Amino acid sequence: MAEIEGGKDFAGTRGVPAVSARGISKSFGRQRVLDELSVEIPSGLTYCLLGPNGSGKTTFIRAVVGLLRLDGGDLQVLGRPVGEVARLYPRIGYMTQHKALYPDLTVEENMEFYAGLYSLTKKVREERMEELLRMVELSAHRSRLAGDLSGGMYQRLSLACTLIHEPELLLLDEPTVGVDPRVRQTFWEYFNRMAEEGKTVLITTHLMDEAEKCQRVGYMRAGRMAAEGSPEEILDKAGLQPILKLWLAGPEDGAALLSRQGYPAAVKEGAVLVGLEYRGQVKEILALVEPLDMRLVEPRLEEAFLLLAEGQ
Amino acid sequence: MSPSPARMGVVALRVVRQLKRDRRTIGLILFAPIMLMILFGYALSGEMSGINIGMVDGGGHQLLRAHLESMSDFDILHLGSESDAERLIAEGRLDGAVVLQEESLRVLLDASSPQISDAIAAAVQAGAAGGMATKAGGRAITPVTRRYIFGYDLEMIDTIGPAVLGLVIFFFAFIVAAISFLREKTLGTLEKFMVSPLSRGEIISGYILGFSMVAILQSATTLLIVVFAFGVPMRGSPIIAFAVILMLGAGALALGSFVSNFARSEFQVVQFIPVVIIPQIVLCGVFWPVQSVPEFLRPISYVLPLTYASDALREIMLKGAGLADILYPDLLALAAFFAITLAAATLMLRREVG
Repeated sequence: MAEIEGGKDFAGTRGVPAVSARGISKSFGRQRVLDELSVEIPSGLTYCLLGPNGSGKTTFIRAVVGLLRLDGGDLQVLGRPVGEVARLYPRIGYMTQHKALYPDLTVEENMEFYAGLYSLTKKVREERMEELLRMVELSAHRSRLAGDLSGGMYQRLSLACTLIHEPELLLLDEPTVGVDPRVRQTFWEYFNRMAEEGKTVLITTHLMDEAEKCQRVGYMRAGRMAAEGSPEEILDKAGLQPILKLWLAGPEDGAALLSRQGYPAAVKEGAVLVGLEYRGQVKEILALVEPLDMRLVEPRLEEAFLLLAEGQ
Repeated sequence: MSPSPARMGVVALRVVRQLKRDRRTIGLILFAPIMLMILFGYALSGEMSGINIGMVDGGGHQLLRAHLESMSDFDILHLGSESDAERLIAEGRLDGAVVLQEESLRVLLDASSPQISDAIAAAVQAGAAGGMATKAGGRAITPVTRRYIFGYDLEMIDTIGPAVLGLVIFFFAFIVAAISFLREKTLGTLEKFMVSPLSRGEIISGYILGFSMVAILQSATTLLIVVFAFGVPMRGSPIIAFAVILMLGAGALALGSFVSNFARSEFQVVQFIPVVIIPQIVLCGVFWPVQSVPEFLRPISYVLPLTYASDALREIMLKGAGLADILYPDLLALAAFFAITLAAATLMLRREVG
């Protein structure tokens, strides 16, 4: 095998997509898990692969790190064909759904072990360990056995071990399962900072609120990319706009009035729902009717995805 | 990727760290062999009961054969050749042997135990005389030739001890490697290694290196027990004996890593133990000589590492053999076994991911 390419300047790969897949397929037996999937994941941002269980998210990630042989299609990782991905391992961080820790080693020993695999010098290792232990809030537990940690702490340690060598492409398979919301927030701040530094963070999740935190989202279904873009773009594509919900003294009359003025309006459960094209329309509508109460209802990404996926 | 001893060392260090913390496993690795050796030692330390004679059957002499077989004191081992018989007598594993041929009858006797030799000679004489009496006269009397060979007057533990030592080391190294390698899979760490600069060769070698530290301790204590507690002779160099044990242990570690690929749980690994261990007990000349294994099974004996390890250990400990004496085939065979299982374990790791 060829030499490892370590410590290469990020500028070398900036502009090149972190991952680029064209029509990749993979079957296990008769089950087609990736079905001519195409997606481009630009470098330097946080990207979320969203989708129900069994939609092929984990398989895609395993293909990216070279753990699967694809049946067909073209897959490039950091600008190189996936066949050469082994050379890129020093630049890739991979966290599986298994936590991949040794319960009978301490927090520190686990981190030292992974640092050793990447041949970090003692000085770099110590610095990285300090920083990461602080980030995952485990500084006070460094001498505890990993096996004695709570589920959330275990998960945090696993992330810290994955980040020990400052990977430029970070692949995280369901990284926030079991992590409490406050620490989850810290994770996201860290991921965003990594993206600002030009690194790429690819995360799989089945949770919508996670996906909303990413700069780009790909919605996978049955081994294909059902929808792809920034969360806002996805909402746009689905054609869902904010909805104004009005409680009027005479809902039927109000709805009729608004309809005559050209606003799509309907009565539902005693309230009038008005579809908006832009938010500024709220003012115009308030000039026509006098609501007892009103609320602006944001369409949900989840609904957008469902609509888009149904449309396929 | 060029192999890095440093990364291998990282894996080895981790294995040692884990073991240091796992007192129960340390206990198992160090004390279980001692216990087993003590058990074997006491069970086998009595003088051999019964008289073990070998028989090389070249035809004829049916009555003599029947006579010897009818004697309850005699345990008869059927051998392929006279030289096998000589060797086993020299090693103290047989008290004597009869070589039957159409036209002749030879008795090989162990000169170091005269009472037993006399008993054998008398029995053969009686059996042969009986045979002659019934012969229709005229034909020449078959000559009975006696040959004396100087064997050891050994206790059973002396001859079996070295082989059991190998067996015990093999057994524990195999289990420990198979189970802990499987754990790498279930913990998910193996998959993570695959996506790190650590190469497959480094994973396996690092593993074996780490466990070798334990194997060294284990071999040393077990060897000491065999020699000091049970007085099994150590006529050759203890260092060479030690090296043989370690080579066998390394092969067992590699085999364990290889086999763990076929198991999905620790429960399944345990089921591999009899499959791997029992053939070696039966076919590798631990308790009875390889020569007594039926010929169609013998090719299996010759691919199993314990055959060579127990032979080498006996040669070193009982006969004082040096490095040159056991180099071929024993040491070479052990080295080949290690190389093949190491390669198989490494390749298997590759395929697993394929």
